[in-house]
Amino acid sequence: MRAGTDSTVHGGAAAAGGPAPLLRLEGLGKRFGALQALADVSLELHPGEIHCLLGENGAGKSTLCNLIFGVHSPDAGSMALNGAPYTPHSPSDALALGIAMVHQHFSLVPDMTVVDNMLLGQTRGVLDRRAWAAKLDAMRERFGLALDPHARIQDLSVGERQRVEIVKCLVREPKLLVLDEPTAVLLPEEIEALLAVCQRVAAQGCGVVLVTHKLAEIRLVARRATVLRGGRVVARSKAPAQEIDTLVRAMIQRDLQAPASAATLQRSAAPGPDALSAREMALQADGLTVRDADGVLRLDKFTLMVAPGEIVAVAGVEGNGQSELGAVLSGMLKPTEGRFHIFGEEMTGKSPRTMTAAGCGVVPEDRHALACVTGMNVAENMMLDRLGSFRRRGLLDRQALNRTVRELMQRFDVRAASPDAAFGGLSGGNQQKAVLARELSRDPLRFLLAAQPTRGLDVGAVEAIYGHIRAAAARGVGVLLISSELEELLAVADRIVVLYRGRLMGTCPADPAERARIGAWMAGHEAAAPQHQVTQ
Amino acid sequence: MSTAFSSTPHSFWRSLLPGPALGMSVAAVAIALLIGAILVALMGVPVGAAIAAFAEGAWGSPYALSASINRALVLMLVGLGFVLAERANLTNVGGEGQIAVGGIAATAFALWPPVAGLPLGMAFVFPMLGACLAGALWGGIAGVLKVKAGTNEVIATLLLSFIAVWMVYGSVQSEQLLRRPMTTSATLPESLEIPLATQLPLLFGDVSMPLHAGLPIGVVLALVVAVVLGFTVLGLRLRATGLNPRAARRAGMAVDRLTVGVLCAAGALGGLAGACMLQGEQYSLKAGFSSGYGFDGLVVGLLARGSVPGVVAGSLLFGFLRSGGINMEMVASVPTALVVVIQGLIIVILAGAALAIQRMETRR
Repeated sequence: MRAGTDSTVHGGAAAAGGPAPLLRLEGLGKRFGALQALADVSLELHPGEIHCLLGENGAGKSTLCNLIFGVHSPDAGSMALNGAPYTPHSPSDALALGIAMVHQHFSLVPDMTVVDNMLLGQTRGVLDRRAWAAKLDAMRERFGLALDPHARIQDLSVGERQRVEIVKCLVREPKLLVLDEPTAVLLPEEIEALLAVCQRVAAQGCGVVLVTHKLAEIRLVARRATVLRGGRVVARSKAPAQEIDTLVRAMIQRDLQAPASAATLQRSAAPGPDALSAREMALQADGLTVRDADGVLRLDKFTLMVAPGEIVAVAGVEGNGQSELGAVLSGMLKPTEGRFHIFGEEMTGKSPRTMTAAGCGVVPEDRHALACVTGMNVAENMMLDRLGSFRRRGLLDRQALNRTVRELMQRFDVRAASPDAAFGGLSGGNQQKAVLARELSRDPLRFLLAAQPTRGLDVGAVEAIYGHIRAAAARGVGVLLISSELEELLAVADRIVVLYRGRLMGTCPADPAERARIGAWMAGHEAAAPQHQVTQ
Repeated sequence: MSTAFSSTPHSFWRSLLPGPALGMSVAAVAIALLIGAILVALMGVPVGAAIAAFAEGAWGSPYALSASINRALVLMLVGLGFVLAERANLTNVGGEGQIAVGGIAATAFALWPPVAGLPLGMAFVFPMLGACLAGALWGGIAGVLKVKAGTNEVIATLLLSFIAVWMVYGSVQSEQLLRRPMTTSATLPESLEIPLATQLPLLFGDVSMPLHAGLPIGVVLALVVAVVLGFTVLGLRLRATGLNPRAARRAGMAVDRLTVGVLCAAGALGGLAGACMLQGEQYSLKAGFSSGYGFDGLVVGLLARGSVPGVVAGSLLFGFLRSGGINMEMVASVPTALVVVIQGLIIVILAGAALAIQRMETRR
């Protein structure tokens, strides 16, 4: 045990002679090739405390988590756990010492059930599924995390998968829980539940490191906060709830526009859908219906028009048909019934190739599965759909490719060392920005489908991305946004429609005054609409 | 041409140079050869004599050298087909079958009377093209099965190999097919020798140095495969398809067509290997014609880890090992199985080293 007196940190965290902190980082540094990911990072975490890590995309938050969890070893500095030197060589060292981490990207086996995924790496000999299913039930009791132990991962929504990841950590009864942007994929009420879980975990004496972009969460749960920028600590706060503005300024080095940025963004003067004939319609979806392999109705007679230059947002609680709608409209899934046209051209069941050629941009919900090839470099990924236009004398013209990409990276603020950098090495937010840059720079771009386009992006980037989407709409692109971030939708869209159990509950202008109506639709309450039953 | 290459950071010529993996490969080979020498000594054979016999057989005479290089050529063609398909994350283990159908096609075309009379060297080119086509068909079947029915290409190419090998056996059993007319009951079940015009011309016109026209063709093809994989849009598309087929499809790539196409190309290279064996060395089709070259070529492709220079180096190594080993058995009575032991050792050492390096990298 260290004496309490010498455990002073800049920022004066724990001058009082309390016990040694649960985790103490001193002067940590980490370099990846030419990139100094972290430099001289120090922080302290006490048991029962939720410590928020803030920073823009690529600020080094994930790297710091990975150091704590033993995925990487630091180049400089030291870590101490409960006062004893802590030098993990691998995540298993970290786990053995009671440190658990929920990664930004899932590490689940899609083919296996929830309980089997739990068993992975946590048990030996005979698999006692019943005991583990009981454990899952106990978790539900304790933390309010509901899961069907025998559901297969591939049948779960992104939000539910995230829940599996979290439960997987919690069954280990960790002393320190590291959550790398866990709320990026969750719904508003799920976020609240998760934050409640964090608080309960902390209340039981566990330390929690929470990486997040969402200011509301910091306000709610953070005991302390540390802001990283460019791999360095640029601000600390012992009372983050009161100092949000300071933290944000430190994070992005400028003042954030008022949250109601809709007021400052001028809305496109797009003609409403009624004024146009079907041929002129950017998207005309007619009775799209999807039944899954088990015959369950996932999307029920979805009918919608999007005019050129119009931004229509699909709101709703995740898992109510948004994924299916996105898959159908991006050509990855053939609808059971119904048709859809893009500018009068029938696209139902057409291959993504045909749709790409017709000028449909798609930002899919699942970035890693559908939008990028992490094993290739940034330039190759950003031009993945138009590699053929970089040919000279039959060979690939890398110079031209990199030139184009460099320009695009600048325009969309994609932060990577160079176009040749490995795409998989980019931070999650920068990957998302790269995908958006590709889809928004498609030529011709006539219709854009963007599912959860701002997931994992920091506040500054969200603003920039919506600026680009608005600009595209101003050029006459029809945009369909699918998102669970209602506030963002209200700020950016012209019209909001709500999906509930695969059915379109209603349509209304994107006006904050409509919030109550939208909320009711999202919950499935609509007097006018007959109660809908899922066939099962 | 050169400006297009030299101006890019990914210089063409530099890419042909072996990377840091070379040191590891050389070390693996050296260790394997050392263990081989120890085994020879344990057998009670003077090591010096065994090495002398090995060298004599591998490169001791122009004939030996040519035989080694001709072996290497066949292995290289199969290995090229492997790395080509591997780029799209397809494992083509069907080299043996592709050689076999290539051999059948080459024999059938060469023995078809009008072919021998073709002018301008078409007499030997035509059977080669036929062999490529047959190999492409054999690879393409696996591709179509994968795309249409989701059949794993490892299973499909392997099983198609067994079919092809037995097709060789069948086709030399019946006079209606390729068997030579039975004049006596002792006539062996094999085809007639193909006409001289359809045999691959010798490069130096000298039977004591039987390097044949397949060699320059193979060298050109190696360059073509290297360029396609490293410097073309097609190469990138194959890579994207291999790494994330769904994202590639979403980005508008014709993933199914690429899959079938690349397996066809790999099969064509295997078929050409069969033609080189038949038209360049054996001149008549016999049962057991492909004699394991397809599987050795597969190993060459595996060890090359996707690199064309790696395929060239590996095939030369295995070609020399085989030739030297045969002579070692004849002269120094060291069983030729030793060569298989050494090949196996190289694989194990390289795989172990690769694993160790991977671990070191993830540790950091």
